[in-house]
Amino acid sequence: MNLVSRSSFIVAALVASVFAASPIEAQEVKGKLVLYTSQPERDASQTVAAFKRVQPGVDVEVFRSGTTEVMGKLAAEFAGGQPRADVLLLADAATMEALKKDARLLNYREAKVEGLEPSTYDADRTYFGSKLITTGIAVNTAAKLRPTSWADLAKPEYKGQIAMPSPLYSGAAAIMLGTMTSRPDLGWGFFEKLKAADAVAVRGNGAVMTAVANGEKSYGVLVDFMAFNAKAKGSPIDFIFPSEGLPAVTEPVAILRTTQNAAAARAFVDFILSDEGQKLAVSMGYIPARASVGMPSWYPAGAKINLMPTDIPKVVQSNSTNLKRFAELFGN
Amino acid sequence: MADAGGMRGPIEDYGRGRIEDYALLWWLVIVVAVLSVLPIGRLLLEGIAPGGALSTEALRRVLSSPTTWTATGHSLVTALGGTLLAVLIGGTVALVVTLTDIRHRNVYIFCFVMPLLLAPQVVALAWLQLFGPSSPLLKMLGAAPPLGSRNPLYSPEGIILVLGVQYAPLVFLTLRAGLRTLPRELIEAGLSGGAGPLRVMRTIVLPLMMPPLLAGVALCFVSCLGNFGIPALLGIPGNYLVLPTLIYQRLAGLGPGALSEVAVLSVLIGFIAVIGIVAQDALLSRRDFRISTASVVASPFELRRWRLPVEVALWTLSFLVLALPMVALVLTSLVPAVGVPLDAATATLDNYRFVLFDHAAAKRALVNSFGLSATAAIAIVLFAIPLAYFLVWRRSRLLRVVNLVTEVPYALPGVVLAIAAILLFLKPLPIVGVSIYNTVWIILFCYLARFLVLGLRPVISGYHQLDRTLEEAAQIAGARLLRRLRTIILPLVAPAAAAGALLIFLTAFNELTVSALLWSSGSETLGVVFFSFQQGGDSTYAAALGVLTVVVSIALMLSTLLMAGRLPPGVLPWRD
Repeated sequence: MNLVSRSSFIVAALVASVFAASPIEAQEVKGKLVLYTSQPERDASQTVAAFKRVQPGVDVEVFRSGTTEVMGKLAAEFAGGQPRADVLLLADAATMEALKKDARLLNYREAKVEGLEPSTYDADRTYFGSKLITTGIAVNTAAKLRPTSWADLAKPEYKGQIAMPSPLYSGAAAIMLGTMTSRPDLGWGFFEKLKAADAVAVRGNGAVMTAVANGEKSYGVLVDFMAFNAKAKGSPIDFIFPSEGLPAVTEPVAILRTTQNAAAARAFVDFILSDEGQKLAVSMGYIPARASVGMPSWYPAGAKINLMPTDIPKVVQSNSTNLKRFAELFGN
Repeated sequence: MADAGGMRGPIEDYGRGRIEDYALLWWLVIVVAVLSVLPIGRLLLEGIAPGGALSTEALRRVLSSPTTWTATGHSLVTALGGTLLAVLIGGTVALVVTLTDIRHRNVYIFCFVMPLLLAPQVVALAWLQLFGPSSPLLKMLGAAPPLGSRNPLYSPEGIILVLGVQYAPLVFLTLRAGLRTLPRELIEAGLSGGAGPLRVMRTIVLPLMMPPLLAGVALCFVSCLGNFGIPALLGIPGNYLVLPTLIYQRLAGLGPGALSEVAVLSVLIGFIAVIGIVAQDALLSRRDFRISTASVVASPFELRRWRLPVEVALWTLSFLVLALPMVALVLTSLVPAVGVPLDAATATLDNYRFVLFDHAAAKRALVNSFGLSATAAIAIVLFAIPLAYFLVWRRSRLLRVVNLVTEVPYALPGVVLAIAAILLFLKPLPIVGVSIYNTVWIILFCYLARFLVLGLRPVISGYHQLDRTLEEAAQIAGARLLRRLRTIILPLVAPAAAAGALLIFLTAFNELTVSALLWSSGSETLGVVFFSFQQGGDSTYAAALGVLTVVVSIALMLSTLLMAGRLPPGVLPWRD
């Protein structure tokens, strides 16, 4: 089933149905591949360029936008009965889980998952985490206090100085909410205290970054790479790994069932999960899903980041209740 | 025989003329149907019959949710508040600038219109910084609030303030176009009859200026109602939900049926916009606003000792609305990273170098956005002139509906119009079999649909002020409709049409929300690239692109002065 070029689709499908037990090894894939992604623009173009070096025969077409915009476009295409995307590379597993529930995703059983942390990919092999994007505390270097834990942020000294991405507008922030509220040491009490401390929820991580770097807020709940990339360029910003641990999203890659070019789509997933694709993620400043390829330069040497485990199905299930409670708590 | 032919000719001609009239009318109606009714209808279908099966589930869920009504209430508050402020600012400035003897009038008008070019988010962001603890200006004055103080703009008042400031040029441009048809004799008669300037303003100028003023009010109201950028930046942190942000929220938490809910919420926005237009119509239909002479009014009121204070007030306003955001933008574009203090050692042109030379899409986006907005502006205005002819002078029930539906695509949040366009154009067009999906044409379609009303409202107000006798004389003389439109009406409504075209161009030039869903590689728009930078935390690149956009637009606007001699009088707002 690996070799299905569009021109010989019927023949290949017949052959494949007869010889399904002995898949043919792919030599080279061809044709057009449509990628929908919410990666930052530079990452998206680097990913595509690197993939094209491995698979020069594939012509990649990219649609890049915010997660909400990508999902909006996709939802409209589903409703119109003709989804155009072949592969998705989106911020969080919860979004993928929802697509999986609607039977939109293709199972890729032969995906090379050896060496990947099992929590980063779907057990049914429909989506695969490409990296780990953790959320910690960003601090403006002019700030007087340095928090060491999430609990610190709830103290009165931090009142009025915290920005965070709103889970109502960002899927990744919704996962963070689901992960943190289900923990006994933080729970909803933590968010109630944040609210009491006048924390503001803004539209996305980019807005948190700008607010903290500008000094409009001293502290921000922010994804790791954005803080470190800004710091590397000279912004007055630091990133703190809170002692309770860091929630993380995996930016999974997945193939749509309706793909027009399954061979190229599989090749894309293979590339993302390969050592080369993972090293690319590291070079862009991300923690890779495959720990063996190394860590980004900002990673504390020798240390192990304490990740908060996320029960994705549970987060998905409780998502709408969580969002409602958050909206009520933060005033809407 | 020659005699008989002479008898028959005009009658035959009259009949043929009527057929032509009807053909033109139906052509106009069909275009409006395609641009406005088709997307709304497709969306409505998604709201009540997702996947083809009739279901009132989404309708029930949306209408029974208290959040919906909270957001509706907030939308009304901010839209009405923003409109009121915009009318106060834009209306006052238009009257003062056109009717008094202030100096440097043309330069001022130029500066007053410019903020339309700055994306609302840019203005809002600049003001946030201005009032915030990191404000470079307040720091310079030593008056910066301490870290952690709450920004006063994160509030309904903040939203209203920024909306009002952002859309004041809409009222200004429509009203200024109207004022230029105001006959000087009327004002002089009033003044020589012993009435004071304020009384002349109240009893002569304002009553005659109701059509353009109301057109500006109507445009402001829908603009405020459908605006997403400002309430997203100021309302989300302030926990103040309006309909466009609620729609975005529903889209973000995309669960089953989200699209239907989004459709229902959008129809709600459309409904509010339509009520606004019905109200405007009711106000206009009660009176007659025709002006029969067209001697251009030339600053009849002398301000004397008030001139300097008025000028100071005007320029202070421009400083706050244009100069401050621009300075903030320029400063951000010169630092290597957000938050780095700007001094001789840190200043860099790297952001400009990156945007201009290393980033292929930014250059393409400039070309695309220019082409799209210029095409939309010209096409819409050429279409609006015959359409407004029928809307104003041949009223019928059908035309009344046409007038209302043109409003809706502009009132919808851009993301929703984009979704409607995807649903419509995902499959190849029937009959011709060509697909415009993922091409620049689908963006153009949305721009035409969305900005039609921006061109139509000023043109309609232009017609309201026209005395029809000229056109009727031409008709009796045997001129057909198309010819009358070209030779009689076009020169007379040209100032209003030009104001509309300018509004469309400036608004479309940095439009974001529609193209964010519809762009494809090669068809990027400025808004898309700007948004990509900002979202990735690269505000410095975004700032550099913003500055370049403004510079290019200023050059374009100034270049219009080169052909000013060949245009009908009153077409360029910044030229007396």
